[in-house]
Amino acid sequence: MSFLAEPTREKVRLYVKKMREIWHIFRGNRIGMTGFAILVFFVLMAAFSPQFMWVMSLVSDLGNHPWHTVYTPFEPTGDGVMRDSSWEHWMGTDQLQRDILSRTIYGSRVSLIIGLVASAVSMGLGTLIGLLSGYWGGWRDEVLMRLTDVFLVLPWLVLMIILATLLPGGPSVGKVVFVIGITGWSSTARIVRAQVLSLKERIFIERARAIGSSDFHIVRKHIFPNVFPLVFANAILTVAISILSESTLSFIALGPPPSEVVTWGNILYDASSHNAMINGMYSWIVIPGLCIVFVVLAFTFIGYALDEIFNPKLRKR
Amino acid sequence: MPGNPIRMLIPQDPSIGQEYIDAMIHKYGLDQPWYVQFATYIWDTFTLDFGESFHYKQPVMDIIKDQLIWTLILVGVSSILMIAIGMAIGVIAAWKHGGPFDTGSLAFSLFFYAMPTFWLSMMLILIFSIELGWFPEGGQLSIGEKLTPFDFNKLADLVDHLVLPAVSLTIGSIAAFSIVMRGSLVDVMTEEYITTARAKGLREGQVLKNHAIPNAMLPMVTLIAMDLAFVVGGAFQTEIVFNYKGIGWATVQATYQKDYPFLQAAFLIIAVAVIAANLIADLLLVYLDPRVKFG
Repeated sequence: MSFLAEPTREKVRLYVKKMREIWHIFRGNRIGMTGFAILVFFVLMAAFSPQFMWVMSLVSDLGNHPWHTVYTPFEPTGDGVMRDSSWEHWMGTDQLQRDILSRTIYGSRVSLIIGLVASAVSMGLGTLIGLLSGYWGGWRDEVLMRLTDVFLVLPWLVLMIILATLLPGGPSVGKVVFVIGITGWSSTARIVRAQVLSLKERIFIERARAIGSSDFHIVRKHIFPNVFPLVFANAILTVAISILSESTLSFIALGPPPSEVVTWGNILYDASSHNAMINGMYSWIVIPGLCIVFVVLAFTFIGYALDEIFNPKLRKR
Repeated sequence: MPGNPIRMLIPQDPSIGQEYIDAMIHKYGLDQPWYVQFATYIWDTFTLDFGESFHYKQPVMDIIKDQLIWTLILVGVSSILMIAIGMAIGVIAAWKHGGPFDTGSLAFSLFFYAMPTFWLSMMLILIFSIELGWFPEGGQLSIGEKLTPFDFNKLADLVDHLVLPAVSLTIGSIAAFSIVMRGSLVDVMTEEYITTARAKGLREGQVLKNHAIPNAMLPMVTLIAMDLAFVVGGAFQTEIVFNYKGIGWATVQATYQKDYPFLQAAFLIIAVAVIAANLIADLLLVYLDPRVKFG
């Protein structure tokens, strides 16, 4: 890293050191590590979906299934109608004869991406509003906080349903991300504002102001870095809620378009609208649902662990 | 709202003449200036006249009135259950905190908290209706029955249909209450007045019942109201899966049918109900806790 200027290098070194310390504390947290392990599994599944399917078909080979046929989520396979699970299709095939196992595995991709991006959107919005509101104070704070209260109190699912119905344009991934992001920022704004209010009165902010720093500089260099850890822990918890929201929206057919994108919510929607329960195709419902449960659980666990690490009040629990 | 509302009402047919379209525009007052339309809207909202549903061709309010009662039954029963069970778990977990019950109950409640409510409902149907056949798969009463007060045979039928939806709505929300109750009680137990109570020679059960729990309940009041928004979301999902024809079921149907008057009215009623609950909780807290002041 010789091309970096000296102070930058020092900053990078300190940053890496801090990350190491956090990782060290995190490693000692049993709940956090459990969540992390589950998450790593699903991230690998999303990144290497084709390879996962390939391994599965190798195993199927033992049950007289040609090993070189690897199913993909959108390609109709074979003949006839829906099939229950077999060596060829571990979880059966759906109403368009698509292999449900491959749909479930590929489904991890969009489900994770929507969860991450939507929570990034709502975190960004919440942090911005919280910072501004806390730093400005006065009537602008009052206006922003009343707006936050409205979003905090309104039932989020109802709001999402109404927004997803009323926004122009057909269903798309972008729309789902927008709808989840716009309804989920309020609690972050509250947390950030409370933190900013207490930081604002500290000596080091006064010192920065005394040497003539601009408001923008103070917020960016002194306040934001101090609220960031809390935001980060909260963001992880928000990812869990965003993934739940996405699956719920998809389940009532307001999610991303099922013909182009496969998510776990979409799979469950297909299952319920084609009577998977009555036809006894239980794996079609149980396994995608369990995937949602475990991913959400993973993020919740990690979020709890990080909250304990960054929030000194809770550390000695 | 996307699209011209008149287009939603009349069939796409070139043979429909301009006079008919004009008549429709006049009927719905769309030829009035915007401020007259807005004043009409405000007036109608306060007189609870939400117009006619596009789909049912009946006044929206009449339809909502029939469905609201079912949602009230479901949400009411589940709320009572989730508050009672959540608090009980929270109290025991705090009492023996650090013990196996504490860890176990946390894991249990987080696991159900992580479940999408609609999926939990599907699982309950799968296990208890299809496999075991203990409860009906959906609906709010047996087919052809209607709700009449004080009829005990029907009450049994109603309870039979209510068990699974209520359980699914309850289980998912227990975590919110048990975790907060536990945290609050653990905090209260470190207060000095608890030490005083112990010093007076009260038994541990008495300290808990008379001194700790009443004080630990205070955050619960706010939480119950705040959580109502979450419970309503859960009720929507439960109603859809169980075909339980409450307002949540109807709202989702209305999104498929683009029934805007219905959506508007349903959203307004739910929002007002939730905000009113929060207001009541805040006022109640002022009454219950002398440390909280207005303003």
